[in-house]
Amino acid sequence: MSGSFEIVLPAVILMTGAFVIYLVSRILAVNNRLEAVFTVFVMAAALISLISQFVSLPGLVSKPEDYFGISGPDGIVLTYSTVGMFIMIVSLIITILITIFSGEYLSRDPRYLVYYPLILLTQAGLYGIFISNNLFNLFLLMELTTVAASALIAFRFQQEIAIKAGYKYLIMSSLGTMVMLLGIYFLFRSNGSMQLTQVLASPDRLSKVAAACFLLGFSLKAGVFPLHTWVPDVYGNAPSAISGLLAGVFSKSMLFILPVVCLRLGMTRGELGTYLMAFACFNMLIGSIRMLGVDQLRRFLSYSAIAQTGYLMFGLGIGFYYDLDQAFSASLFMFLVIAIMKCLAFLASGVYQFYYGTQDMEKLRGAGRDMPWIALCFSIGLAGLAGIPLLAGFTGKWMIFSAALATGDLFSILCLVIFLISTVIGLGGYLPVLVKQYISSAEPTLNFPSLNGKVSMWLIIPITLLSFLVISIGVFPTPWIDLVNYVMRWMSL
Amino acid sequence: MENYELLISGITLIPLVGVLVLLIWRKATKNQAATIGIISEGFALVIPLLLLSVLKRNGEIVFSFPWISNMGISFRLSLNWLSLVFLLTEVLVTLTAMIYSLGEKTGEKNSNAYYALLLLFSLGMSGTTLADDAFLFYIFWELMLIASVLLILIWGHGETRFRVALKYFIVTHLGSLMVLVCLITLFVNFGTANMTEWMLQSSSLPINTQILLILFFIIGFSVKMAIFPLHIWLPDAHTVAPMPVTIILAAAMLSMGTYGIIRFPFAIFPLENLQHFALWMMIAGLISEVYGALMALAEKDIKRIIAFSSVSQMGYILFGLGSMTLRGMEGAIMHVVYHAIVKALLFMVVGIIVTVTSERDIQKIGGLGFKYPIVCVCAAIGILGISGMPPLGIFNSEWMIFAGGFDSGVSVALTVITLVGSLFTVIYGLRFFGSIFFGKRMPESMAERAPLALTIPTLAVTIFLIIEGLLPGPLLTWAMRGLTSFIGGLR
Repeated sequence: MSGSFEIVLPAVILMTGAFVIYLVSRILAVNNRLEAVFTVFVMAAALISLISQFVSLPGLVSKPEDYFGISGPDGIVLTYSTVGMFIMIVSLIITILITIFSGEYLSRDPRYLVYYPLILLTQAGLYGIFISNNLFNLFLLMELTTVAASALIAFRFQQEIAIKAGYKYLIMSSLGTMVMLLGIYFLFRSNGSMQLTQVLASPDRLSKVAAACFLLGFSLKAGVFPLHTWVPDVYGNAPSAISGLLAGVFSKSMLFILPVVCLRLGMTRGELGTYLMAFACFNMLIGSIRMLGVDQLRRFLSYSAIAQTGYLMFGLGIGFYYDLDQAFSASLFMFLVIAIMKCLAFLASGVYQFYYGTQDMEKLRGAGRDMPWIALCFSIGLAGLAGIPLLAGFTGKWMIFSAALATGDLFSILCLVIFLISTVIGLGGYLPVLVKQYISSAEPTLNFPSLNGKVSMWLIIPITLLSFLVISIGVFPTPWIDLVNYVMRWMSL
Repeated sequence: MENYELLISGITLIPLVGVLVLLIWRKATKNQAATIGIISEGFALVIPLLLLSVLKRNGEIVFSFPWISNMGISFRLSLNWLSLVFLLTEVLVTLTAMIYSLGEKTGEKNSNAYYALLLLFSLGMSGTTLADDAFLFYIFWELMLIASVLLILIWGHGETRFRVALKYFIVTHLGSLMVLVCLITLFVNFGTANMTEWMLQSSSLPINTQILLILFFIIGFSVKMAIFPLHIWLPDAHTVAPMPVTIILAAAMLSMGTYGIIRFPFAIFPLENLQHFALWMMIAGLISEVYGALMALAEKDIKRIIAFSSVSQMGYILFGLGSMTLRGMEGAIMHVVYHAIVKALLFMVVGIIVTVTSERDIQKIGGLGFKYPIVCVCAAIGILGISGMPPLGIFNSEWMIFAGGFDSGVSVALTVITLVGSLFTVIYGLRFFGSIFFGKRMPESMAERAPLALTIPTLAVTIFLIIEGLLPGPLLTWAMRGLTSFIGGLR
């Protein structure tokens, strides 16, 4: 065992935190809010250690030999991952807000004790996936996150639908990881090692098959067409906070680990770019078409998540196919804003569910008058996702748009047309939902008791912060673009 | 930075302050909210007038500071002769609508939000005319749309307002996206969003790209102009919107499409590449002119009659632009201004008729002439105005548009047909006026007097229309200077 412990420190903090918090909370019988506060502290500690690595990236990148673990063909090597750091910083900030939200959101769930440790485990697993250079290790961490995420999805196990969703996620995700395991087998047959610190010197047919297996596995986890069918069932029925985390951050981050593995296994950048761009079109179209007319908020947001996966794939695809740095910047920026907006939308819909016991927009007509602040924030989230100017989503779309046009190539322009069609169709989805909050129908469907605006601050604070981010990134994107350019400078995709 | 450059930002920032005050002052009565709205909008009228002397000296006043520097985007506003014409038209229309609004019921509840949105709507339009950066232009362009959609959604009439607002948003947004495609293509090719620089670099683009961009720009902006068959959003949106919003939509917002066509394809690309579209624009203008007029003739709802007349009038403007001659385009710009005044006047008259009779079906209204003589006179002048009767303004602009058509060298026959087609305007105008103000008095119960709060602004606009028609000098000069500064080589 040798190398820099700093690499694994965030994961260690998160994992240890998960067990300590569970034990302490169990023994001291702490209440939900206190446990949420503990969890926030643990994540803040992990965040600080990540940020300290992130700011010293120029120094770290100059020492590529730095690693943690055991070298050699069977060893476990963990190295710095610039993209991983960026994604984890975004993920942890979002998860801290989700945890604060859960401080109230879970107040009626007796099983809150396991909820927070599970969240910490998914975060630790996600970080581990990025720093792993050993594919078997990557597989194990992938399984860890899958199991923890399944438990979170089926968290309200007294509801049959939640169990079904958790079960579906477990089956589908395990299928994905099984395919990856198959890939590992092929790689081992071809290479005699599961280490993947750099691009294979002489990729043969077997390693290409291994790459295809990983491509399939990650695509399934990211919800890429035609492996997207589980997305609405799972995110549509999981607790809103978890759906926000998984749909906004977790499944999207798979799109950033996918190229790292596949390219090292011998897939060419052109092949990867073609795959991403071609399938992005399906995702964009299917996501936006299917969300039309869906009144169940979480299900609606899940369909829109499929479209957003398409936007990210499109950006990344351009980057690989045309070797365009601008497209990578656009994708990273898009990842950041989608994570924020998606999470905002899921959390706001969670507030409706929490107080009114429904997430059916038809029944929630006029709810905006009862909860004006939440409705405003939800509207900001939806408008941001729709790409309305001066909100974060518009800048993201503008950047992807610019990247696609900068190529001047027919293939990217054709995909851009699909992107535009998807945006227009998406408007037809987002706007009715947004507007229904404010407009009551002729028949009184307001079958919920009025709250007179009394919404818990635990719910309001995270939602307000996320809305503030959506607006501030939209109005002043400069520092955020600088941030993704900084990541771009040091990352190697 | 000179003081007058800072003043330009006031045209957008002061109404924005008004919006913020209104949003904070939630308990403002309608009168209080209107006062804030009118005062802050007033600045948008006064500032450009104050700057006239500087504009005469410099030709253009620019306010600029860096915004998204790593993407080459800045907050850049430019007041020039072209934007001045559109800006003044739009601000005057908004002020009229705000004052007119005091005499009717819209916005009695949530007055602060109502006036804040009217201000935002106007801010979107002022920003669109002033923006000299494509990113900024698009933001203001969309702000205009969002504010108007919200106004229709919240204060629109009837249960259909939801569907209508959605249709309005999606159709016009489609047009906006076509414009966005062009803006980003130019942004990517030139590496800057500065619209003035685009004018200098455009010839470096391949001709095919130029042709495609011109096509997209023209179609995209034609949606906003409601040119047939892209007008489908207009009749419903104009009918469902409350009257003050309809006035702004018809009299001011439609003209933004014209501004867009002049400011982008016409100003950026060389005239010889634009010439490919001359015939098609003129044909589209002619079809729109005749179709709008025929639909206005067939409609029974008095609000829809005037709404369809907008489709027809925008046809003239497109025809004028399509002529690609100095006279035709100058006529088109003047038509924008005159149409704004006449259309505001006609909708104001319709508003009074609907208020006093509570009826919108033209077959159920009649004989109002002697009961409301002042309204009758205003309507008569409005109808004569839209029919192109001298000395009212539209006569001047139509004269120039047709002259441009004859000069264009495209097809004399086309211009003759368009000229003859204008007869339909006279027919629907006379039908409108005759059925409402003459014949048997209908409906049986109606208000004794037309509300003064509505009649006075209507009368004021009527007088303004007459003055503008008699004194077209300044407008003509501004339009000429604006055109020649943006488009070179016009005959």
